[in-house]
Amino acid sequence: MIPELVLALSIGAMLFGVGLYGALSQTNLVMIIMGVELILAAALLNLVAFWRYLHPEAIEGQMFVLIVMAVMAVEMAVGFAIAITRFRSRGSVEMEEARELKG
Amino acid sequence: MSPLALVLLPTLLAALLIAVLRRPPEILALVGVSISVPASGMLLTMAFAGKGYTLMMPGLPGMPLLLVSDPLSAVLSVLVATVATLVMVHATGYMRKDGEKRRFFATMLMFVTAMQLLVLAGDWLTFLGAWELIGVSSYLLIGFWNRKPGVAGAATRAFLYTRSADLGLYLGVFVLIGAAGTSNIAATLTTFGTPALIGGLLLLLAAMGKSAQVPMQDWLQRAMAGPTPVSALLHSATLVAAGAILLIRVAPMLPAQTLVAVGIVGGVTTVVAGLVALAERDLKRLLAASTSAQYGLMLLAIGAGAPVVALLHLIAHAAIKSGLFLGAGVFQHSRGSTGFEDLAGAGREHPRIFAGFAISALALAGIPPLAGFFSKDAIIAATLAAPGGIWMAVLALAGTVLTGAYMARALALLWRGAPQKGESGDELQWMGLGMGVLVALAAGLGAAFPRMEWLLGDAPPVSVLAMFLGLGASLLGLALGWLVPGARLLGPLLPWARRGFAVGGGMDGMVLRPALAMAQACNAVERRIYDAVLAVGRHAMRLGRGTRATDEAGIDGFIFGLASATEAAGRRARRLQSGLIHRELALTIAATGIIAAALLVAPLIY
Repeated sequence: MIPELVLALSIGAMLFGVGLYGALSQTNLVMIIMGVELILAAALLNLVAFWRYLHPEAIEGQMFVLIVMAVMAVEMAVGFAIAITRFRSRGSVEMEEARELKG
Repeated sequence: MSPLALVLLPTLLAALLIAVLRRPPEILALVGVSISVPASGMLLTMAFAGKGYTLMMPGLPGMPLLLVSDPLSAVLSVLVATVATLVMVHATGYMRKDGEKRRFFATMLMFVTAMQLLVLAGDWLTFLGAWELIGVSSYLLIGFWNRKPGVAGAATRAFLYTRSADLGLYLGVFVLIGAAGTSNIAATLTTFGTPALIGGLLLLLAAMGKSAQVPMQDWLQRAMAGPTPVSALLHSATLVAAGAILLIRVAPMLPAQTLVAVGIVGGVTTVVAGLVALAERDLKRLLAASTSAQYGLMLLAIGAGAPVVALLHLIAHAAIKSGLFLGAGVFQHSRGSTGFEDLAGAGREHPRIFAGFAISALALAGIPPLAGFFSKDAIIAATLAAPGGIWMAVLALAGTVLTGAYMARALALLWRGAPQKGESGDELQWMGLGMGVLVALAAGLGAAFPRMEWLLGDAPPVSVLAMFLGLGASLLGLALGWLVPGARLLGPLLPWARRGFAVGGGMDGMVLRPALAMAQACNAVERRIYDAVLAVGRHAMRLGRGTRATDEAGIDGFIFGLASATEAAGRRARRLQSGLIHRELALTIAATGIIAAALLVAPLIY
């Protein structure tokens, strides 16, 4: 068992827990998005750790991380665009008030 | 324009004009037929000068349609044109008050055109076409008064009877064309051997049907339902003559056995039809039976190997018989009937018509110097001259005696009796005019016979014995007919004659009933096939109905059930959609947790 890997995975797990808590507990859309970002960051950290300590010779790990980072950026852009639009039209980004999507 | 076209086109055009224009049809008809007289006369003069015409039209490949004018067809063409014109003159009076005379004259003209076409036909296809046209127009004319009860039936009967015999013509013509390889009539006449024998017998069958020979004689008497000018034309120069003309045409080809068959048919017919005529109670029916008898004499002459003699008798008979019918038409007009009971004494009312009738009757009986004398004597002489023809001569003499007897009987029945006050006037003049010329022809045609014999290149045998025998037979017949009532003359044969000597049930028994039986058999087979087809259909329907039920309950039910189940599931799933992001996120995380747990547990199970 590689101690650095265990350390990195532990930090990832903590990040994930913080992100999950944030995403579930906050009612502000911006805060929820930040929680989700933390979860993704935890996943990225795990990915990088596994690549670095288990298969440093495989180039696919780095590629995968880069692609996930690009997806994170896009997700941020879309999420914040929705938040700004909602704020402009409703004056609030509180998600307790957003019930329009009920099926 | 070829004179051949000049013969055919005027009548055809007149018929079309009558159909199109609404002018008085008599004038158009008279103009049409009278133009064809000089045209056909031109053919005859050219034939005397040794010149013939041929008109070729495109027909089947290798078998062009031909119109040919040779001595035989020229003589017949003149005959048809002349008789048609005179009958048309008579019809102008006869049909004056008829409301549908346009139809009458148009059909008459078509009839005449068809007959000219038949006479001038140079190939068998044209001949067949003309033969069919004659059949159709005679059907239309016999059934002209189609509103009277029984008339349409009589026309249909005449048509079907002649049609059934026409089968012989078709088969015979096919045999000849097949044997000779060409449809040219003149070329097929060189056929010999078995094809000639079979073809000749088949053509004889066709001629028997058209010329009303035993055993197919009874349709002609029933065909009297039409207007009298129609009968005059039908019996003298057109429909009935077509059969004899056919045989005269092909006579050079016929082998001896066929000639004997022709002679037997003709001889039997002349006697049988003569006896029938003696028993008739109706003037027109008597004349019809006499027509059969006279055509029997012509066939006898052909059988004796003297077709030219048959032609002479055909010509003489055409003039005589049309005159007789026109006279009968006058009597019918004044008494409104043709039964002898109603006509008793009618002769005294119209003495001039009666005189013409009597002259024609004597001419038919064969009294010199009338036309019938020459032709009849020629027939007797020809039968005497034919090898082994003594039985033919006996039949011909018997026919002559009978001719004299029934004509004298008709004259006696018309003359004896009280005259009534008959109508007279304009119509009678027209009718008398046509008849007068025909009677003159009947009286004087004999003088033209030597010229015709020369033209046709066959002089009949001359025999003093035949002349005396014939004259004696005629006089005997006339005396018997005038003095003794027909019923007593017939004696035990009377009931037979009344029934028209219907051998084997007549046409009814020989053609009608077999045809009906065949039709019924066909009907039964047909019905069975129909039932089978219907059953197949019914089973297919049942199968279809079953398929539909399966389709509706099974497949459709399955699909609809699937759809509604999906819908219900969707409705239930909708309840989870709160629209609140937290709850959705929580659900996502729970689901992810379940999936993760499953992924962790799954390797342990396997």
